[in-house]
Amino acid sequence: MAKLIKQHCGELVVLNKKHIQTLLLTLVSSTILFVSGMSHAAGLPPLTHNLTVIKKPKLAPALRLKNMDDEFVDINDLKGKVVVVNFWATWCPPCRREMGSLERLYLATQDKNVVVLAVNVGEDVDTVFPFMGMVNPAPSFPILFDTDGTVMTKWKVKGLPTTYIVNPEGKIVYRAVGGREFDHPGIQKAVISLGQK
Amino acid sequence: MLNQINILIIGLFLSFSCFADSLQSKHVEKTTGITTWEIKTQGVNFSLTQILPEQAKAFYVNRGFTLVQTEAFASSCVYMTVMRNDNAPGTVHFVKSNWTVLANKKPHLLISVDAWLKKLKKQKVNNSALLAFRWAQFPPEQEFEDGGDWNQGMLSIGLPAESIFDLIVRWDINGKAYKTTLRGVSCAK
Repeated sequence: MAKLIKQHCGELVVLNKKHIQTLLLTLVSSTILFVSGMSHAAGLPPLTHNLTVIKKPKLAPALRLKNMDDEFVDINDLKGKVVVVNFWATWCPPCRREMGSLERLYLATQDKNVVVLAVNVGEDVDTVFPFMGMVNPAPSFPILFDTDGTVMTKWKVKGLPTTYIVNPEGKIVYRAVGGREFDHPGIQKAVISLGQK
Repeated sequence: MLNQINILIIGLFLSFSCFADSLQSKHVEKTTGITTWEIKTQGVNFSLTQILPEQAKAFYVNRGFTLVQTEAFASSCVYMTVMRNDNAPGTVHFVKSNWTVLANKKPHLLISVDAWLKKLKKQKVNNSALLAFRWAQFPPEQEFEDGGDWNQGMLSIGLPAESIFDLIVRWDINGKAYKTTLRGVSCAK
């Protein structure tokens, strides 16, 4: 991440116009999303807090993607850990809303054999990086880039956000379709107990 | 007289049962006039919220479309659609092409996401913008487990501005068919 910030600061000096454009676009799209979100009935659709138990767990599909530092992360290297895989995009309102709770889950479980991977669909670092600064708390878990949607297709994602929880044996044991409050005690407990088995 | 009272009571009871089983509500946002229609029935929550053409255009311009490329979709009567399985008796499975739009009592076909993608590819929309378009749509098919699985996405009805229609939403649970009708929905100006 330090490398990225350094890289971005460097670019700000050289490519000031490009970054201002990126930031403006992000601000405009955030405003639109905020307005459209505000317009939903008397309030936003609630983020729920249940995980679906997969009755016959199968091995998770391949997942090898670049992170924000342009380095590959491979789920195969994470065998023995619980991996929370979240598919998302900055323009997806429930994805944005659940991101803070995903960070809180990460903070509460990172020393309990749990890894969180947030797989962004179809966007790039220039779009995602400014968004990270708007999330409270700002995500510190790895953000991966599925630029052409190939990986999400292999994982059979049908709508965003979708989250899978992979056990230390590499099998998908829980699924959540739609936005969640990942820092809900029930979800935290389920994730932590997987890592302790 | 007694029979009439009995019939009245039964009628009231049946009306109340139907009402309680299928509650439709409408909410108008005061500042924007944007309207939401919502129905709660058989453990499923479903809502449509108008997306103004200018909102849809702005959203897709920010995803890499040109203004011209946004025109057809933005003016096709678009809604932010939310469907959630709160406590239905099992996994809710739907195929969007099974849903029916009734305008002036005549069925009207929903334009599929694939058809939109085909149309946009002809307009040479770039790949990352097409990907955003695809995944910003309400899924063509999905399964929602009970207890809170849900999705939010755009739905194009394909009717002119200010059209009024009913939407029949169909799903199945373990092969058993269910449906509900959202009545009197209007397209934004």
